[in-house]
Amino acid sequence: MKSRFIRKILGGLSFTSALFVFQACYGTPQDFGNDLFVEGQVKAKISGLPIKGIKVSVADNLQYVTTDEDGKFSFYTEMIQHLALKFQDTDSTLNGLYAGKDTVLADVTENVYLDIILEEK
Amino acid sequence: MISSLKRVAFRKFRESEVQLHELNYLFWECTTRCNLNCRHCGSDCSKDYSYPDMPVDDFLAAVDTIKERPENFTVVFTGGEPLLRKDLESCGRALRKRGLRWSLVTNGHLYDEQRHISLLNAGLGALTISLDGLEASHNWLRNNDKSFTKVIHAIELAASSGRLSFDVVTCVNQKNISELAQIRDLLVSANVKSWRLFTIIPIGRAAGDQELQLTDDQFAELMDFIALQRKGKQIDVKFSCEGYVGKYEPLVRDSYFFCRAGINIGSVLIDGSISACPNIDRSFTQGNIYRDNLYEVWLNKFLPFRNREWTKKGKCASCKDYKDCWGNGFHNWHGDMNDVLVCHKEKIEHAAKNQH
Repeated sequence: MKSRFIRKILGGLSFTSALFVFQACYGTPQDFGNDLFVEGQVKAKISGLPIKGIKVSVADNLQYVTTDEDGKFSFYTEMIQHLALKFQDTDSTLNGLYAGKDTVLADVTENVYLDIILEEK
Repeated sequence: MISSLKRVAFRKFRESEVQLHELNYLFWECTTRCNLNCRHCGSDCSKDYSYPDMPVDDFLAAVDTIKERPENFTVVFTGGEPLLRKDLESCGRALRKRGLRWSLVTNGHLYDEQRHISLLNAGLGALTISLDGLEASHNWLRNNDKSFTKVIHAIELAASSGRLSFDVVTCVNQKNISELAQIRDLLVSANVKSWRLFTIIPIGRAAGDQELQLTDDQFAELMDFIALQRKGKQIDVKFSCEGYVGKYEPLVRDSYFFCRAGINIGSVLIDGSISACPNIDRSFTQGNIYRDNLYEVWLNKFLPFRNREWTKKGKCASCKDYKDCWGNGFHNWHGDMNDVLVCHKEKIEHAAKNQH
């Protein structure tokens, strides 16, 4: 503990915060961890059954995942103030036909679990 | 005066870092397979295809031995070309479940939209992609006429993500040194925020290829270019931590030269060997995850990395800058170890003499 304190003092005297944020010459920059883990399950409103094949996407972003056999999904994404997610049935009647849904997560600072209900068409 | 004080504080800081030797940065050489056949290969990685890819579970078991992980601990997937592995995402998720960060170094050839998305979904946090010139010079170095087109697409994808800590690296050589300003403009137009420049170590296939090495004058030109770019705001340009650069030290990086190999940087290599950066001579291997406990090796071995007095020979024996340089980047000690392979400071001094 004492060594770490001394290190901070000496690093500060060198007038550069970069001392604590380094990268190996053949490595990557450091990850500052600005993301969150989103997971959940999508179910049908009337039957209550999980829905496979629902596209879960992040608005204004390329990221998406598709729900599995149990209607479950999970992914990491950038932590932003208002995270807008879209739930869309993109496989036509293959796993049933459902209306889409948009959800906005506001001021989320930790990992989230979402229970999403979609209405049968 | 202030500059001298900063240097003294830095030397003390570096000593305290050695004493603490926190493992902050762990390379995983997850494959030695590659989809390109670059001219400079062998200078910074093992080019041995005889090893199968290391199973993810073997690597994770080694990671699990690390009892005390600093907050910023990162696993860096490297190769070979890591994207040849289809299971990077599952390994990435397993690391994130353990509360760890992970990142990736790639040649960009396989980094398309689908892979970009799946890597982000799995919690990729940082990424480095190589771009080695404009189209002709990049494809020349990479020995592939489609590489430039693919890597530009990869760079645009990566730069579009607000999530990734992302930079582009360029190996500067005879073919691309005159293109640096154009490469900078290309990167700025692709919205890249950070650009790191290297030279190529004369080992492996690169040892006998003069076109890959910069002359002393060209090396000084590179330093001047970086120092000038750092005065601007368009893009964060820096020289890699490959070596000590004498009078340019405060001008081309965010901090003074400090080779952290074996001090904060470790690696698990393709055969399970435990070392520091993957481009370091493999005779410095400190153990093997299939025999040894990774963390015990990290805590108790790595002595040649943490006490570099042994490098005080050859050019370094009488160098007045040794206390700031410590024998240059560790990867500059290869083969018989009688002398440092490259002295960047010497190149700069030779260039200055050439000018007079």
